[in-house]
Amino acid sequence: MKYAFFQGCHIPIRIEQYATATEAVFKKFGIELEEIREFNCCGYPIRNVDEKAYMLPSVRNIALAEKAGLDILVICNCCFASLQKAKHVLARDAQLKEELNLILAKEGLQYKGTCEIKHFLTVLHGEVSLETITINLVHKFNDFNISVIQGCHILRPREVTQFDDSFVPKITEDLLKVAGVNSLDWRGRLECCGAALAGINDELSHSLLTEKIEGAQQAGADYITPICSYCHLQFDTTQKNILTDKPESQLLPVILYPQLLGLCLGIDEKELGLSLNKTLQQGDIDKIKSLLGPPIEEKKKRKRKKKKEDEVPA
Amino acid sequence: MNVLIGLAVIVCLVGVIFRISTWFSQGIRPSVPSIPTGERISAAVSATLGILFSPKIIEVIKSFFLDILFQFRSFERSLLRWSAHFLIFSGFVLLIFTHVLTDADSTANPYIFLRNLFGLMALIGVGLAVYRRFSWKPLRLQTYPSDWAALILIAVIMVTGFMLEGTKISSFAVYQNMVEEYADVDEEEEIALEAYWVAKNGVQSPNVTKPFDPELIEQGFEVHENNCMDCHSSTRNAFASFTVSKIMGPITGSGAFAVGALTFLHIIAFVALLVWLPFNKMFHIVSAPVSLISRRIMGLKGDNTANILNRQMVGLSACTHCGSCSVECSAVMYFESFQNNFILPSEKIQFLKEIAAGKDLDATTLKKLQKGLYVCTSCDRCSSICPSGINLRDIFVSSRYALLEKGTPETSILSHFSFPLALAQKFTGDHLKALKAVEELFKSKFKSLTDLLGPMTLSKSKGVINRTYQSCYSCQRCTNICPVVRSYDNPGETLDMLPHQIIYALGIGNTDIAMGSQMIWSCSTCYLCQEHCPNQVELTDIFYSLKNGAINKIEEGEQ
Repeated sequence: MKYAFFQGCHIPIRIEQYATATEAVFKKFGIELEEIREFNCCGYPIRNVDEKAYMLPSVRNIALAEKAGLDILVICNCCFASLQKAKHVLARDAQLKEELNLILAKEGLQYKGTCEIKHFLTVLHGEVSLETITINLVHKFNDFNISVIQGCHILRPREVTQFDDSFVPKITEDLLKVAGVNSLDWRGRLECCGAALAGINDELSHSLLTEKIEGAQQAGADYITPICSYCHLQFDTTQKNILTDKPESQLLPVILYPQLLGLCLGIDEKELGLSLNKTLQQGDIDKIKSLLGPPIEEKKKRKRKKKKEDEVPA
Repeated sequence: MNVLIGLAVIVCLVGVIFRISTWFSQGIRPSVPSIPTGERISAAVSATLGILFSPKIIEVIKSFFLDILFQFRSFERSLLRWSAHFLIFSGFVLLIFTHVLTDADSTANPYIFLRNLFGLMALIGVGLAVYRRFSWKPLRLQTYPSDWAALILIAVIMVTGFMLEGTKISSFAVYQNMVEEYADVDEEEEIALEAYWVAKNGVQSPNVTKPFDPELIEQGFEVHENNCMDCHSSTRNAFASFTVSKIMGPITGSGAFAVGALTFLHIIAFVALLVWLPFNKMFHIVSAPVSLISRRIMGLKGDNTANILNRQMVGLSACTHCGSCSVECSAVMYFESFQNNFILPSEKIQFLKEIAAGKDLDATTLKKLQKGLYVCTSCDRCSSICPSGINLRDIFVSSRYALLEKGTPETSILSHFSFPLALAQKFTGDHLKALKAVEELFKSKFKSLTDLLGPMTLSKSKGVINRTYQSCYSCQRCTNICPVVRSYDNPGETLDMLPHQIIYALGIGNTDIAMGSQMIWSCSTCYLCQEHCPNQVELTDIFYSLKNGAINKIEEGEQ
């Protein structure tokens, strides 16, 4: 199994660990992620300015993947939404499709719309499956309390992103549960991290972020797991930036999903790039690792299964 | 001729010194008083000394071999570009050592062979470079006349060189001159020698024709051994020129005129290259090595303002307009959408050189450049690709704010291109100032709700294609769930209009007031309102189209 790995603009230079950890996790399940160097920006940053200019870059990216005969695997929510949006719109607008294809034709590309856009969590949850993950677990977390922030653009609008139930998302929760992580119910779970307003209205952006940090901490979270790369940068970089003004506040460290799953799969912490998370100190890393226990639940299940099997003939 | 070459060398040297002086006198940076040249030179000198007398010297040596001689940065990205450049570079440099700087034994081995080899290498390199310019055109590689000129000039030098050597090989006049001047032979020996040179060394003589008499040639070889062989290896060693001589011979007659003319052309082309070198992209011969070494040592970092500016200028003068950055630029599709050349990094650089030199650009170009500088994903790909190791990120970020400081308000600042800038926390004051300018512009262009006096009229909403607002049934769920509205004590005042009010405004056909409201720019685009709307009003999508429309209206008004 092979996917075209779409990393977007931020991940390769700002959150390298998101890509390397994802690659390491997928390697465990025999899924290869191929980088296509010609991929360009997904279009998201220009959306406030021009809707058509927002769509064209994604259309080209999809055309590139189609040329390579691969489906696209995405880790950034905003990239994911942009690619899905382009597919969604072009499937309903033949005229626009023709117009954008004319631009692509200049470099010998053509958008057909056959390529599937998949979020990495969907692939883990669906194709890889929770059972396979469970079988491959080397460790499982105990008493590991995190708050997950799903990110807006993976969930909504649901008819475009088609990721999960946008009101009660299940995929991420299931995947956290498999790793033994205690994903807390908290009020910011489905809300905005403020990234979309950064540089446009910093004050508002910061207040939305602070609200999430405090919300997660009040719910009892020791760490936060952002799914989107923009959320990650808000919590891992902006949080540190604004904390310098508020020394009394407590830092909420970030750990990414592939990193915590990677630890459970026995992948080396260096390969997972834990130390590259700016908010994660060595002390945090040691603490997180100390929460790793044996994958007991699996044994219980086996026992139960055995019991059932024993019971049937009787 | 020698005088001409001497003059060219002087012009070249003066030019190079002038260009180097600009490294320490020019630069682009917003809201910083200019640093005196003396201070900038001393900053550069102390940084250089600091490196030379530290373990970092090993990095410098490594950089010399890996980055400068082997051109690893180019090798990593494109084999085609690397082959083209490496062949031109190595061919040219080696020719300088085996031909330009030494004329000794030019007709004997190994020089006679090496000169042909190196010349051919450079020529093949030029061929590959021309091929790249054509084949990468669909990938948006831009080529200027000066790019062609540089390639043509090098090709002319190489081709005239081969033609000249070829003509000298075949020319009977040249042969006769040589015999007269250097050979001590009687008439019989002269006939034998001529037969030998025609048969073996490609001289084309009216006196000797095929078939050759083997005895006479053997006799000729003895004469050749005694008179010529000390200085002349077989001309077949000049493999390229020897082939050319077969063509040149019949065309050039005795060759006397052709040799003179080709010598002139060959030297003139070289002189032209020398004189032109400091004032165009060929100056990278001087600046690219400096840029590459500083890149290896400092990466993209740097905190001394004087040295940041110095490095900027070295960088600007090290750009070869190779277009590698533009071909892989992540914002490349925005170039297609907006048809603005300045979105491509390689094109920005050409005009930033002029801005650094303090030249005034006309308002239209300036506005386009400003937009081009802003429509950038901050992915740093250009900086990591640049074969000359230029820190493009620093040049672009500095220029962005330097231009915004003087220029017109830039509406693209309201895009998510601002996100990485907020993250980096550089030039925060300048950023806020630029934002303020855009805000003022909006205030002057759009009426706000409180400006409206008298009765409102009903009409159709213009400029909004998404018609879902028509199904709003005023439940205000959107406003109630909005995290932005929740963030303010008095949201109505801060945001001008609340989400449901914007939909109402569209309902009565007042798009303008919706476009002018602070609400659309404070929308966090979280889509909660849209997802929760019981009547499928696509609020967030409508907000996006209002933002697009507002920017469009302002941009149109500007023109």
